[in-house]
Amino acid sequence: MKTGLRLAALCLATALSSPALAQDNMDRLQSMQRTDAQFTYVEQSGQRADALKAILPHIKVPSGFEVSLYAIVPDARSMAVAPQGTVVFVGTRKDKVWSVVDRDRDRIADQVMDFAPSVTFDIPNGPCFSPDGFLYIAERNRVLQFPAAEFFFEGPDPAVAIVVPQGELIPVEEESFNHTARVCRVGPDGKLYISLGQPHNVQPVDKHEMYDKEGIGGIIRINTDGSNREVYTRGIRNSVGHDFNPANGDLWFTDNQVDGMGDDTPPGELNRQTAAGQHFGFPWTNSRVEIPEYRKVPRPEGVDFVEPQVEMEAHAADLGMSFYRGKSFPSEYHGGIFSAQHGSWNRTTPIGARVMFTSLDENGDAAETKVFAEGWLDQETGEYRGRPMDIAFLPDGSMLISDDFAGAIWRITYEGDLQE
Amino acid sequence: MSHRSARFLGESFLAGVAFAVALVFPALADEPGGDREAGKRLAGQCRTCHGMEGLAQIPIAPHIGGEPAVYLESQLKAFRDGQREHEMMSIVARGLSDAQIADLAAWYAGHQIEVELQADQAQAPAACVMCHGADGLHQVPDAPNLAGEANIYIDTQLKAFRSGRRSHDIMSEIAAAMTDQEIRAAADWYADVKITITEVE
Repeated sequence: MKTGLRLAALCLATALSSPALAQDNMDRLQSMQRTDAQFTYVEQSGQRADALKAILPHIKVPSGFEVSLYAIVPDARSMAVAPQGTVVFVGTRKDKVWSVVDRDRDRIADQVMDFAPSVTFDIPNGPCFSPDGFLYIAERNRVLQFPAAEFFFEGPDPAVAIVVPQGELIPVEEESFNHTARVCRVGPDGKLYISLGQPHNVQPVDKHEMYDKEGIGGIIRINTDGSNREVYTRGIRNSVGHDFNPANGDLWFTDNQVDGMGDDTPPGELNRQTAAGQHFGFPWTNSRVEIPEYRKVPRPEGVDFVEPQVEMEAHAADLGMSFYRGKSFPSEYHGGIFSAQHGSWNRTTPIGARVMFTSLDENGDAAETKVFAEGWLDQETGEYRGRPMDIAFLPDGSMLISDDFAGAIWRITYEGDLQE
Repeated sequence: MSHRSARFLGESFLAGVAFAVALVFPALADEPGGDREAGKRLAGQCRTCHGMEGLAQIPIAPHIGGEPAVYLESQLKAFRDGQREHEMMSIVARGLSDAQIADLAAWYAGHQIEVELQADQAQAPAACVMCHGADGLHQVPDAPNLAGEANIYIDTQLKAFRSGRRSHDIMSEIAAAMTDQEIRAAADWYADVKITITEVE
């Protein structure tokens, strides 16, 4: 599973129409050669921008907060804000990672272009940064490292290293498109934590042991050179958001729940993990609800299931989450968790498409959860105006919300008086 | 795609044509008679992912507007009956009757799709064009449109045929001969085709 860190530059493909573009030349990228890969730029003004801005009046936020359009970013998924704050790297469930650039710091993106167009990406949903400026990108079945990405993004051929080679994150025969949106974070221990969704609604009984061993339906932890892989979190269905509590290092994560059991069950999950190897119940339980297919399957020995800290409304699809580390929001938000609900797809009455806030108590447990921002779901027609997917924060403490339905990043600032 | 592999694919494609003649054409005689109005009402449960007109709203979902009804019916039945598995579709399809499936197929098949090829059609993947067209529009009723699908969707399906997770008399054989690079090249080709789907009431 491990490989030596291979620092390489990219050399690749010719014309856009050429099938050669599809070739992944990572094996040949040792020679620091330039390529003729071209950037794709996303227009930031005009009709599309106007249509997105017309959504803004529908978004409801608490008193003192304001919402604006930060950038037009097609298919925007998980985000990683670079240490200097100049660039936000945004993953997609397609084949692009976007560099969202704000050089003049007016808090509106002035340029959006694809990152590393010389790399053939495959569901690069999950970017994350180490504190020293290494960008990691977790794909469907590979993990890449881009040193100093905040500076090298300006050229089409940034330096790249392979952390987990193609085909070694999960067994190739388990590859799917759904439940393949990886999320990564660098933990307080400097290791990479990568979520691996299991590809089924409920995994077949003959697969659960293998999945548990691989960390499919879990979160794995590896060194940043790909070595020492271990399964850190067990018993998850499909987590698409995790973050570490800056106060004590606990890992928190959301989980998506089983479909087909009814409109109101099982609830969505926000979980707290305090030690390596804890098991969160799936596929035996989802938020304390027994999964029928596993009622007669023996539970793993010597394991107590950890129950969720917060049970969210069923099918709202809790995805990306981040602790609030900034200072520009009122103090009641400091140290709490903002999480995105993508919105339901098969509930009789649609629900979700909003941002939730969960405060923590002095023990580091969840205290209260409430709706922070909503209005992306048209309650009258049941249609989405947008679907929040991930939450990140700029160095000034303002919030970014990625939206893969509208193809946008929204920004929320606090404009009220902070004297309390 | 190298010359050698293209020729190899051509050979397996010829084998495929024999199947196509045997399997696809009987289906032609069996035109579905679904009720589009009923299909439209049922499509409320499809629209979050596929849109009312069949234009995909999320990358993991294919465009199904203007798809052949025969193909839509066969896939919904395959999801319902367990021959094809997908975490979401298996749940959606499991409660559908044959009549409801015919209605849904009629609704989505009835929309109008237009395509615009962005490149020289001589470059189209040779193994695919006989059934899917150079521009990604179906040439036979048992083949889906591929035009404008997310490349990762096509890539994922080809790999599923190759691994055996998804099975089809022609596609399993064609995909079995393809490398990862050839799969991605074919997927990129069809993903680059621009499409417009117009809702037809």
